[in-house]
Amino acid sequence: MNPTGFCYQRGKVVLEAKQVTKEYRLGQERVQALSSVDFAAGQGDFVVINGPSGSGKSTLLNLLSLIDRPTRGEVLLDGKPTSSLPEGRLADLRKTRIGLVFQSFNLVPVLSAWENAEYPLLLQRVPRSERRERLQAMLSAVGLQGLENRRPDELSGGQRQRVAIARALISEPMIILADEPTANLDSATGAQVMGLLRDLNEQHCVLFIVVTHDPAVTDYAERTINIRDGQLHAGDEHVATVTAS
Amino acid sequence: MWLLLPLRNLLRSRRRTALSAAVIALGTAVALVVLGFVDASRALIQETTVQQFGNLQLAAPELWDDEGELADRLLTQDTASQARSLTAEQPGVTGVTTQLSFSGLISQRRSSQAVQAVGVEPENPVLSYEQLVVKGRDLQPDDQGAVLLGRTLADELGVEVGGFVNLTATTVDGAFNVLPLEVVGIYTFPTAQVEARQIFLPLAAAQILLGVEAVDRLVVSLERLELTVPVAASLRGTLGADGLGLEIRTWDELSPFYAQLSGFFDILFGLLIMAVFVLVFFILLQVLTLAFSERIREVGTLRALGTKQGQVMQLFVGEAAWLGLLGGAAGVAAGGLLAVAFNAAAIPWQPPGSLEPVTLAVRIGWPSIAVPLVVSTMSTVLSAVFPAFQAGRVSVVDALRVN
Repeated sequence: MNPTGFCYQRGKVVLEAKQVTKEYRLGQERVQALSSVDFAAGQGDFVVINGPSGSGKSTLLNLLSLIDRPTRGEVLLDGKPTSSLPEGRLADLRKTRIGLVFQSFNLVPVLSAWENAEYPLLLQRVPRSERRERLQAMLSAVGLQGLENRRPDELSGGQRQRVAIARALISEPMIILADEPTANLDSATGAQVMGLLRDLNEQHCVLFIVVTHDPAVTDYAERTINIRDGQLHAGDEHVATVTAS
Repeated sequence: MWLLLPLRNLLRSRRRTALSAAVIALGTAVALVVLGFVDASRALIQETTVQQFGNLQLAAPELWDDEGELADRLLTQDTASQARSLTAEQPGVTGVTTQLSFSGLISQRRSSQAVQAVGVEPENPVLSYEQLVVKGRDLQPDDQGAVLLGRTLADELGVEVGGFVNLTATTVDGAFNVLPLEVVGIYTFPTAQVEARQIFLPLAAAQILLGVEAVDRLVVSLERLELTVPVAASLRGTLGADGLGLEIRTWDELSPFYAQLSGFFDILFGLLIMAVFVLVFFILLQVLTLAFSERIREVGTLRALGTKQGQVMQLFVGEAAWLGLLGGAAGVAAGGLLAVAFNAAAIPWQPPGSLEPVTLAVRIGWPSIAVPLVVSTMSTVLSAVFPAFQAGRVSVVDALRVN
């Protein structure tokens, strides 16, 4: 697969949640963060899950990104159930199929932009020459040429989020899940980052699921889902018209 | 990355890393200096022991087992000569001499002392007493009734060089015999027991006194101390094949004092190493637990990206290994400087059983570097295992929530 030109076939359902419930213990009480949620998204979709704080959107994102397990129900990745998989297998799936973008970027502070983006490839034991080729293409695609050797504390918020996006996309995953990717950015930079995500979605046909409480982000969505009190409510289905670089 | 990331993380909190490395360096340096001192002292005692006994001795089993009559312990001239030839042919052997040892009573006027008399071949290539003689001279080939006394014994008897003593012993037939001997030299020896009780006389005089033409042992010197065991093994095969019925003892088997002291040094150093290990382990356990817990959100990120628990553990243990190596290397450097300083200061000390003070020496060789370095690194790595394990198995969601 070409490092910059990888592209999945659109349409096939790759991520599903079936009757997913998530409960937490809070002292003696059990708190239900998600209640019997059903969700499905296809390859190449750009889905925005919108909801206020405490609505359960981050809980849903954690379950969909396989870093947490549902109390009940099932999350299916590429049609295969995941809730009973051992932790090591889930780590493998996260490594190869899923890319994550965090609200606070979550870059490793002692690594340069290049090394942060390189990390998933090292986990996959990609040969050095191929790593170099893919990284050059990816960092160029997210507009980080010339900044490769800078550490996170030498980059602006927008640049850090671009590194995080490059890190998420470098292993050519089927799905990218982004948790409030614009929350720590000013509106102009946030718009640039969302535009970049949208462009990458169109270019690579990767499924993007973006969780946010920022109404501006929904402008980029093909499909918007609202979440409130742990339950999903269908939102708008439309073709996004905003693109930016 | 698996080497680079731990190293970068280590340099992240420089003050904490410097303090941790200082603890490791201190432990390593102390262990290195003590081990260097033990090595130097052991070498000194080895040298003294070999000076006294040679590298190897060959004798009849009855002599080693202290069984039978005097006659049973003796080697005929033929046997001694044959064994001498076979031994001298062995690679690494630099000299062979014969001795005849026996107990006797030395007296001078009204004073007498029980002694261990050793009949030796004067100017033999194995055991030289010339450097030990502090008054008079060494035994010479044409000496007949001459004797070398230890300084302590000479003082006890009140005899000087040129004076005469009588040596009384039991002959091979069981009769008493007395031989007048002229004190031609007074020697000194690092070991008090030797200086007070051992006398040396020409082999011919000893044979006359005991009424025999035999010897009781062959003493062998080697090119290097390390050849002792292989040459002994080779000789056992050769002598066994020739049916001479001789048994071999190595220098360390001949000196119970060396074995005791060596054991004491081993225990001393073992305790010190254990103390260093425990000290480094518990201090580093505290430090690394804190350091790892501060990076728990980062662990969550790495785990979310697909890093496995074992790989997270590997990163943290790798960090401890770097710390151990850096601290250990600093400790080796500091210990080396301390050793140089000690050696330059030429501090006198008196080893156990020694009559004269010797200069305190710290010998730095590969074992005295490797052992403390390995122990401090191992200790640091082991101290990281539990906190690294804890960090690796933290829930990803919980770790990502940590601010």
